[in-house]
Amino acid sequence: MANYCLQTQALSYSFSPDHPILNNINLQVEEGSIYGFLGPNGAGKTTTLRLVLGLLKHQQGSITIFGKSLIENRREILSKTGALIESPSLYNHLTAIENLSLLQKIYQCPKERVKQVLELVSLTETGNKKVSQFSLGMKQRLSIAVAMLNSPSLLILDEPTNGLDPNGIIEMRELLKHINRQQGVTIIVSSHLLSEIEKLVTHVGVINKGSLLFQGTLAELHDRQVQQSMLVFETGNDVTALRIIRDLGLEATAENGKLLMRMMDKEKIALVNEQLVKNAVPVYAINMHKNDLETIFINLTNKV
Amino acid sequence: MNEFIRSLQSEWMKTRRTAASWLVVIGAFFIPLIMIVISAVKADKLPARYQSPVFWQNHFANSWQIMAFLLLPMGVILATSLITQIEYRNNTWKQLHATPQRFSVIFFAKLTVIILMMLQFFLLFNLGIYFSGIIPLLFSKAAQYPPQVFPVAFFLKTNLYFFIDCLPIIALQYLVSLQFKNFMVPLGTGIALLVAATFAIQWKYGYIVPYTYAALNYFQLRSSAVQPGPAVNIHLLAVGYFALFIITSFIFYINKKDKC
Repeated sequence: MANYCLQTQALSYSFSPDHPILNNINLQVEEGSIYGFLGPNGAGKTTTLRLVLGLLKHQQGSITIFGKSLIENRREILSKTGALIESPSLYNHLTAIENLSLLQKIYQCPKERVKQVLELVSLTETGNKKVSQFSLGMKQRLSIAVAMLNSPSLLILDEPTNGLDPNGIIEMRELLKHINRQQGVTIIVSSHLLSEIEKLVTHVGVINKGSLLFQGTLAELHDRQVQQSMLVFETGNDVTALRIIRDLGLEATAENGKLLMRMMDKEKIALVNEQLVKNAVPVYAINMHKNDLETIFINLTNKV
Repeated sequence: MNEFIRSLQSEWMKTRRTAASWLVVIGAFFIPLIMIVISAVKADKLPARYQSPVFWQNHFANSWQIMAFLLLPMGVILATSLITQIEYRNNTWKQLHATPQRFSVIFFAKLTVIILMMLQFFLLFNLGIYFSGIIPLLFSKAAQYPPQVFPVAFFLKTNLYFFIDCLPIIALQYLVSLQFKNFMVPLGTGIALLVAATFAIQWKYGYIVPYTYAALNYFQLRSSAVQPGPAVNIHLLAVGYFALFIITSFIFYINKKDKC
């Protein structure tokens, strides 16, 4: 049985009775994983993460982190959790060191930790520069340093790449991979772009309109990708070919001079091909049209 | 207790280089500076003034005049609103509330910072009053150091009263500032109540408006014949209002659904 770092059960939330935001969310985040929490804007990602951090008043369902209930163990859980919710939460009139030092007092971590996390995000040279003079990329990195200050076991990052340029996104991805591998930190990272976190995550949860549509490993999402792939037959006589395929008890559609079939096992493909050739239907090509993950994501989110 | 001290240290660090911290320093030395300039302009009248047996009481009362009526309440309104604005302006409430602290600790640590800033203001203002009494002696060779022994007890007692009298303003401003992201709401509320207080002061029951207490205390300090002051103990009322507003503020804060 998997060991879950974070689990929600039947988590529901609404700002008003007739306007539900989350509906029966059952998140299962495995320990040591990088969990990509995906969904279009307004899907309910931020609301879920705010509930998980105790920033919104709990309404329905349960939240368990490190095997303990959030409501009863809020402070203990937060002492082992780091977070970045949407835009950077930094005191702009203070320096990077001052921002970290004031939190170091609360977390009671060693003073050396301030230097360590600044090194981790490559911000040791900022000196007396106030945060207001930082670029967005620097602010995001400092926010990661803030989230890492208490050496958390769980890191919750809501859209950490928002506003970053492609280089910044790559840097952030490498940094998170490094934190996960070197320090064994479980990371939940939300995004509205699958392509942005596809190369980072081990697990994926897809949410739309407040409902969790898919949850599993990245490999399972890839399996779904294969399942949703199409076989494309190019033949010399589509009408006859279509009849032969249907006679075999299979489904096919003709589109743009090609026959499209759902992906099937190799033996069935060979059988279809054999029957077509036997019935004098020339087969010019058999291809697999693979949906990319982005299309799977869009298909999932358009279903609701 | 340790959790509160750590939270307080953290909150105090946030005030570095803020408008509120500058306001405390500039506000404290503004009136003393004006007093020095007035003394320099009217240097010929200094010898007689300094020989008064109640020189320090007069000097103290003169220094407090504008302060009690306008600058102190206005400063409290601004400083309290600016301290809570630190979190709103930097979008840091969510970060603060995601730290392993009790919400009550955050609430009272922030309030304590405001009160400490007020104490800092009182300390600096009194230093300013003292030096604005001493420095003018440099302008007039005829003027002598006041023969009166410096009335420490009088200073402490009167300061304590002024401090207690501005507590309801701190509490009400804190309540409003915590509820509204828009800086103009607490500021507007404060100014409106201060204007209301200036009218209420001449009313028999003006003491109902808590923003009048610093001015009413000034009348008592001057033993004003024009404005004899209310029959009730305004300092006790101030403490009562303070407790009422803080309890209300705490209930609102704790029950806020969205702590972002």
